[in-house]
Amino acid sequence: MLSSLWVVIDMHFFAFLRATGVTLQLTAVSLALAVVIGLIFAFLKLSRNPIANLVANAYIGVVRGTPLIVLLMFLYFGISSIVVLSSFWAGSLALAIHAGAYVAEIFRGAIQSIDHGQHEAARSLGMSRRKTMRLIILPQSFRRAIPPLGNQFIIGLKDSSLVAFLGVSEIYSTAMTAAAANFRPFETYLVAGLYYLVLVLIFTVLVNRLEIKLAPDRRVAT
Amino acid sequence: MNVIETKNLNKHFGELHVLRDVALTVAEGEVVVIIGPSGSGKSTLLRCLNFLEFPDEGSQILLDGEPIDPDRDNLDKVRERMGMVFQHFHLFPHKNVLNNITIAPENVKGVSRADAKAKARELLDRVGLSDKEKVWPSQLSGGQKQRVAIARALAMDPEIMLFDEVTSALDPELVAEVLQVVQDLAANGMTMVMVTHEMGFAREVADRVIMMDEGMIIEEAPPAEFFAAPAEERTKAFLSQVLHA
Repeated sequence: MLSSLWVVIDMHFFAFLRATGVTLQLTAVSLALAVVIGLIFAFLKLSRNPIANLVANAYIGVVRGTPLIVLLMFLYFGISSIVVLSSFWAGSLALAIHAGAYVAEIFRGAIQSIDHGQHEAARSLGMSRRKTMRLIILPQSFRRAIPPLGNQFIIGLKDSSLVAFLGVSEIYSTAMTAAAANFRPFETYLVAGLYYLVLVLIFTVLVNRLEIKLAPDRRVAT
Repeated sequence: MNVIETKNLNKHFGELHVLRDVALTVAEGEVVVIIGPSGSGKSTLLRCLNFLEFPDEGSQILLDGEPIDPDRDNLDKVRERMGMVFQHFHLFPHKNVLNNITIAPENVKGVSRADAKAKARELLDRVGLSDKEKVWPSQLSGGQKQRVAIARALAMDPEIMLFDEVTSALDPELVAEVLQVVQDLAANGMTMVMVTHEMGFAREVADRVIMMDEGMIIEEAPPAEFFAAPAEERTKAFLSQVLHA
């Protein structure tokens, strides 16, 4: 089995390498968008404006209440009937909209977890609401959001495999094609799994480093 | 000249009437200490002065003789002129000691980085923490945190300082170092209002002691008089409780 595994790795090496690039692009684009979407909806949800709350709750509720594959297909066929959108961008957009809902909740939770005394101290020094948010609350919230955000990013990386069903040649779709051609589905999907595993492990290390970098005061024992 | 004056200051939290027609005056350079049982409205009174709590409609707060109108005036500008120190410090954990002190002058007043740093170092020297400027708040003791918090408030050059039970969260052996800083400020002529349970400190440093109960000022007098011969029964009862505790 080990030798047949090696054959599969060897045979599809460049295909998987290219596919890894596509998977990383999908993940990077969708998660960057998800952070922007998440931040906007976190603020809408924290807003005192009931309409803003309603919009945020509707978005988060719908996204969390439907499977990603449904959203993916819906967007792909729905949007492409109106505008021409490549399957890569349709996929990225769907992944972003999906992850954005979870990211919004992560940011909202992090912002709300900051002690109210931080607001009061900042306001008592004459800082406006906006400056308090920008200089005091958000930097502390980002720091607190890193672990759950890292978790969500790992989920996003793996969720990108569903875009295979739109015909984007990322890791999973490459595995499907390869398995159909080489008649070794077991080894081929094992290889695909290993690719994802390695990517996630590398990503985990990066997130841990970022967490340490963003928490300079925690580096020293107290 | 009164730095702070309140007229008909009322405050409700829902049904609860926590401040009842409070008339407080604080003259320039005066040290006013507010005491009273918990729930008497001391902290709320202090927090209404800089609008961390909004007083009820019809209440009046005057700063340097000018009434503050929360609907019209920019409250950020008002708060700039009043320094506040909290029971639980509330230092900014993501900023080191120096930047805790410089962040407001730089971002609120537009003071240059160099000037803000120079001023911060001068203040750190004053509170005895010159060697701690690069340290994170989480590495400081409670007494050190509170001294940084005082320096942070002073960095805005306030006209008046508000101290809200600033020693109540400290270990007993750390209380003295914080009170020493407050006492130095008083000696240098800073106008201040202080809510505290430190009766010895009130006796020594206050120009006037105010007793509050059930949202009202029930008695006020210079400390010698106040502690030697309180007029009100409730003051006597309160003092006998805290002094014999």
